[in-house]
Amino acid sequence: MNPSSASPEGTGAPPVVAEHQLIRRIGVGSGGEVWLARNALGTYRAVKIIFRKSFEWQKPFEDEFQGVLRFEPLSRQHDGLVDVLQVGGNPQADYFYYVMELGDDIHTGQTIHPDFYQPRTLAHDRAERHRLPIGECIRLGAPIASALGFLHRHGLIHRDVKPANIIFVNGFPKLADAGLVTEMFKTRSRVGTDGFIPPEGPGTARADIYALGKVLYEISTGKDRLEYPELPADLGNAAATRDLVLFNKLILDACRTNPRERYRDADEMMSALLAFQFCPRDPRREKINQTVIGMIIYLGLLFATGVVTFMIWRILRLLRHPD
Amino acid sequence: MMNTMTSAEDFIPTRYSLLSRLQNWDDQDSWKEFFDTYWRLLYSFALKSGLTDAEAQDVVQETIIAVAKNIQKFRRDRELGSFKGWLRNLTRWRIADQLRKRTRVSQEDTCAATNDAPDWEAAEIPASAEAELVWENEWRANLMKVALENVRHRVKEEPFQMFDFYVVKGWPVARVARTLGVNAGQVYLAKFRIGALVKKEIRRLENSELPAA
Repeated sequence: MNPSSASPEGTGAPPVVAEHQLIRRIGVGSGGEVWLARNALGTYRAVKIIFRKSFEWQKPFEDEFQGVLRFEPLSRQHDGLVDVLQVGGNPQADYFYYVMELGDDIHTGQTIHPDFYQPRTLAHDRAERHRLPIGECIRLGAPIASALGFLHRHGLIHRDVKPANIIFVNGFPKLADAGLVTEMFKTRSRVGTDGFIPPEGPGTARADIYALGKVLYEISTGKDRLEYPELPADLGNAAATRDLVLFNKLILDACRTNPRERYRDADEMMSALLAFQFCPRDPRREKINQTVIGMIIYLGLLFATGVVTFMIWRILRLLRHPD
Repeated sequence: MMNTMTSAEDFIPTRYSLLSRLQNWDDQDSWKEFFDTYWRLLYSFALKSGLTDAEAQDVVQETIIAVAKNIQKFRRDRELGSFKGWLRNLTRWRIADQLRKRTRVSQEDTCAATNDAPDWEAAEIPASAEAELVWENEWRANLMKVALENVRHRVKEEPFQMFDFYVVKGWPVARVARTLGVNAGQVYLAKFRIGALVKKEIRRLENSELPAA
């Protein structure tokens, strides 16, 4: 590719991406643009182009390039990550790009009509449906938690987990936008999206867990993340209320202000999500169980005290009347 | 208080652009806090004065810039009255500017078909006593909202949820306890503890220093 042939960001003329024909721009973000593209075999792809001019300094631009390079081979090893298929360009030049598998269309899924294509993201689903049932929240949250655990085990963090960055491919949720992926503890810069960034700042695995907790908060309650931890006034019927209140505990454990009180890692969060799916814990039932256990312990202690008192009484009696 | 289509999230770009315009003033953190404390009040008051969403956002920006420019004068000249009254006046002037702008645009659109002076003052700005009442109500509601916002991040999530259901949403204690699987005592305790923190925060906000210019 020839970096010098890149058109300036936002002018409308497609940049040059090797072996791909760029069809139309489908998204514009702070760091660059996303284009709908077609490769030589006619398969539709998404291409993200990151422009140097979006960055004040060269260093963060190069860091982003390095993050994508590290993410690229890993992305294809986990089903919860959007596959990055090709990285090109030169961070010394005007821009670089990466080619990804294309997410579903909001109406036609994987049948793509280039003129009408609109990517289906979790943000779109949330806007459309306001609140998702708890079972669906778990089916969305567990693969993303698993993907985060995979990234973290490889020393990477995502730094921008939010509904707009969770896309659907064949109806399956995947974590997209590798733009802010970086090595753990490498950076202390404040990147990400307000409300998804924990109080201690981004840049750690627990910050990613916090952000995923906020995603689950938004989709399960229908409320804005900035309203956390408020619950909606309309909780639905009795079963929906019970589910939401129980699921709420799981969200709270992901979004605690103190990072040490959150899930230890993303795998623990995924386990909690799966455990909830198969065996939700009802605090009222737990309370009853605790009361029963308490009663048993109390009666046991009472019985033991009685036995000891009886033994003492017997011993004293024997001492007084040896015969 | 806020039942408009604009959420706090929508205002984040406004805040950033405003802060960059205020970059020559010291202490950006204080200005950020100042913005977070007062934007709802200014925005809501502007909407209730008949402005559109975009015009109300402009009023927020312009009023805070006016505060930044005139704050030293306000500090020096105690005859300008209380901060609350001073801020109300600055806001009303910015609202009047917006209405004037609107009238100018509409006059240009109609190719100056008439020479009649625009009657924006009478039509759009609430009468003085009414405006006073609106401002007073908005001021109180805003303080409560901001105090609650600030306290929200300083307390455990579970008690905050009890407080929100019981005090803010006005649910009966038994319903809160039943819904959240806690006992009534815990709900009362949450109300007592968080209520005390909110009152303290309101006092702090009322007495807090204005940012440095």
